[in-house]
Amino acid sequence: MSEFRVPLFLRGEVIEEDWKTFGGRRGSGTFEAPDTAQYIDRLPLSSPLAMADLYEISFEEILDVLEELGRALDFEKNKHLQQAYAAGLVAANYPPALLANSYTTLPYAFDRESIREIAETRIGIDYLEGWVPRTLRDGREVRIRAFGSRALHVPAGNGGLVSAVTIIRNAITRSDAIIKVPSNDPLTALAIARTLAEVAPNHPLTKHLAVAYWKGGDLEVEQPLYRPENIEKIVAWGGFASVKHVTRYIQPGLEMIGLDPKRSATIIGPEAFQSEETLDEVALRAACDIGVANQEACASARVIYVLCGSDAQGIERANRLGQRIYEKLVALPEHISSKPKSFDRELRDHIEASRMTEDWFRVIGGEDGEGAVIVSQMDEPVDYSPMLSGRVANLVPVDDIKKVTEAVNAYTQTVGIFPESLKRELRDQLPLFGAQRLTSLGYACHVTTAMPQDAIEPVRRMCKWIVDEECDPEKVFPMWKAPALA
Amino acid sequence: MAEKNIDSFMNDPIDYFDGSITKMHMLPRDELEALQREAMSRRFADHRQNIEMVRNLADRLEIKEVKEFDDLVPLFFAHTAFKSYPAALFDKKRFDLMTAWLQKLTTKDLSEVDCEGCDSIEEWIDRLDAQSELRVITSSGTTGTISIIPKDEHGGFYNMRLWRLFLFQTFGKEPTREELEPVVDVIWPNYSSGKLGHLRMVELLKREFTGNDENRFHALYSDAISTDLMFLASKLRAAASRGELDRVQIDPKLLARKQEFEAMEARRPEEMKAFFARITSQLAGQRVFMTGTYTLMYELAAAGLERGVKNVFAKNSAILTGGGTKGHVLPENYMEVIKEFLGVERIQEGYGMSEISALHWACDENRYHVQPWVIPFLLDPDTSEPLPRSGVQTGRAAFYDFVNQSHWGGIISGDEISIDWDTPCSCGLASVHIAHDIMRYSEKQGVEDDRITCAATQDVHDEAVNFMREFEG
Repeated sequence: MSEFRVPLFLRGEVIEEDWKTFGGRRGSGTFEAPDTAQYIDRLPLSSPLAMADLYEISFEEILDVLEELGRALDFEKNKHLQQAYAAGLVAANYPPALLANSYTTLPYAFDRESIREIAETRIGIDYLEGWVPRTLRDGREVRIRAFGSRALHVPAGNGGLVSAVTIIRNAITRSDAIIKVPSNDPLTALAIARTLAEVAPNHPLTKHLAVAYWKGGDLEVEQPLYRPENIEKIVAWGGFASVKHVTRYIQPGLEMIGLDPKRSATIIGPEAFQSEETLDEVALRAACDIGVANQEACASARVIYVLCGSDAQGIERANRLGQRIYEKLVALPEHISSKPKSFDRELRDHIEASRMTEDWFRVIGGEDGEGAVIVSQMDEPVDYSPMLSGRVANLVPVDDIKKVTEAVNAYTQTVGIFPESLKRELRDQLPLFGAQRLTSLGYACHVTTAMPQDAIEPVRRMCKWIVDEECDPEKVFPMWKAPALA
Repeated sequence: MAEKNIDSFMNDPIDYFDGSITKMHMLPRDELEALQREAMSRRFADHRQNIEMVRNLADRLEIKEVKEFDDLVPLFFAHTAFKSYPAALFDKKRFDLMTAWLQKLTTKDLSEVDCEGCDSIEEWIDRLDAQSELRVITSSGTTGTISIIPKDEHGGFYNMRLWRLFLFQTFGKEPTREELEPVVDVIWPNYSSGKLGHLRMVELLKREFTGNDENRFHALYSDAISTDLMFLASKLRAAASRGELDRVQIDPKLLARKQEFEAMEARRPEEMKAFFARITSQLAGQRVFMTGTYTLMYELAAAGLERGVKNVFAKNSAILTGGGTKGHVLPENYMEVIKEFLGVERIQEGYGMSEISALHWACDENRYHVQPWVIPFLLDPDTSEPLPRSGVQTGRAAFYDFVNQSHWGGIISGDEISIDWDTPCSCGLASVHIAHDIMRYSEKQGVEDDRITCAATQDVHDEAVNFMREFEG
């Protein structure tokens, strides 16, 4: 039986018919959505010229609408968000308090000055508002402007914030967005879109947003849609399969902005053991990096390298830190982190096997699926480290940083580091191996979008950077007057 | 039978049941369960004392004895127990530490095993073979490790004797002398040796089926599968999933064998041709024993039919298959295709797993009958709590095998199975029976299966060799 419905949002119009049944992500939780294939002609913009209305509004007006939208996304009152929450309870692995908190905090993403900061630091508002002039060395006058593009977004489903960020980026770049919703967060993007249609009916921002569900890989939808005449960019987040899948449509005129699946690492320096107070703070910060969003984020801590040495004394220290982290982890407030709804069976089997292998691993907690800390009793992470989830971290005592750089690669997004001095020491080195974001321990999941992401500038890349040149033959040497050099 | 003792029941069921498969499966349920409870409790006491990991687990759970079946449930191992060692030990060639790890999983004494100068996994296992009673079998995984299951020599041969009983006897009839000791040609559509579970069987099959006549054993490929190559393949998969293929280091000793592995690949088409020639001339119309997974059997049959080869063997040949389809999609009529090629009336199916010594044989009603020396359990897939042993139940399969002596016999599988506890099977046997449709939970949820099974051996070999090619340029 279907547990919820995911209507189709077509540029302000909500379609609630032609229902088709889909399976959920975790075996249970089937839902219904309109058969998108039947609306395929109305999904993309009818003509590129239809983008023109976005240029009749000012950036301040865009901020006005987004601010208004943020106010209307009040979880207490907004029935669309409440429906999204109810669907999320079925479709995602988040416990209720955690999920509710993600909706309660959603309006902060729409803070006027924060959005202005994103636009200014990532693009430059002048470039969005008009032509920015510059005189080049050869004498020509160039004027550059950032235009929006027609984009398809495949956002990740681990948290509604990704949907909000997508809609904000679409608005500030004056782009046109078709959002393909993930089945593990089926209604958040739709709830924001419907609220937008209510606060700004017929507004260009509403008319440049479509939200639809179809099963990833559905050729009936994707083949006619994913073409350069319909869309110019595909912004693909998350899962290896979904990113890989999109690449088959990439061709001249249709580019991918890939926010690939990522993993993160944590490095803790020997300074953590200076005093009991410091150890306590480090443990709390590490627990926070593991626990926030119940470790479902790409920025979440999983393998934690501790530069405490791998001799007996070092291992003893790592065990002590592991115990302390576990205590802080299970004591995190419920709205930030709590016992996951379900626990990966294969991972549980691996953890239980490690628990029996006391020579190599010490497993702290985890008997009740509440989360665990596995302390390696040597300088190697567990072989199943890519599976770590549901608040399970692996502490690895190491002698020197070389062991850590071996584990950093292009899949490494965030590296949480303690103390700051160690981070400064490592910041010129870790990026060479692939690390993309270095941050203070405890802030791995405390993200802002006013920065580059995954070592690229997705918001800049969502824009089309157009050049208008003016060449006065008096100032720029005319080629037709060039003498033969031979 | 009543005068025979529990020792015989738990250590030598062939003797206990007079070598009759009918007797094995006709024991009334309550009588059988009383024997099983006693055997379980004794084997647990033995293993608690002699297997360190079992003792540690039992101590942690404060379990001193087991009386009822469900008392065992917290003590089950998952398949991960046999790969709980750090894979880095292989990379660092710390075979001494690997031996120490293995010692904690087995009753057999490994103190005489000398790892000095040991240079490869293959060599380590050969030394275990030579210097202990163990005959470990390996399997493969994508987490960068391979499972090492400490089987022993005695258990392996015993198992083959059981196979022979089930393959040549008929339920409901007392066995004849010929049925008890048949000598046949063995058709082996596989590699000739290796340390993977199924390849370890080659020696056993030769002894138990061909009367130790090398000429009556017919393998598809003459080569061995290298355990070190399997380990590399598993490491590569793990590295690919972590984006670390550039960091994989190949043991120079293995890399030096690249040409040998390539030659093996190159030989395959010729060997396949020769294999078909042999079975269609020399062995045509003979009564044989042949075994392989569904996929292997189907692929061979399809290749044969394509060459116009069919009805190859005698109608009463013994053909055994099983092993699931492991993610391969076979056409609906795959069994018919296999039968047409082989020319046999019946194909015996079996359900088992490497960690358990028993194969549960399918009856004419297509239900797998649990062997009397194995206690089946159904667990809730989420909580691992035991489901009631009554009515029709579907859950995660777990088994306790008390015949096996070298390692702990309590294993949780990754399979979803159904058991009808109350209705006797319409085939007439009294034993517990499992429904034919068995599914891996990982396949059910669309998660990539962690295990590389024997069905994928060749793919894995090719994958590793291709990588080596790129590596050297």
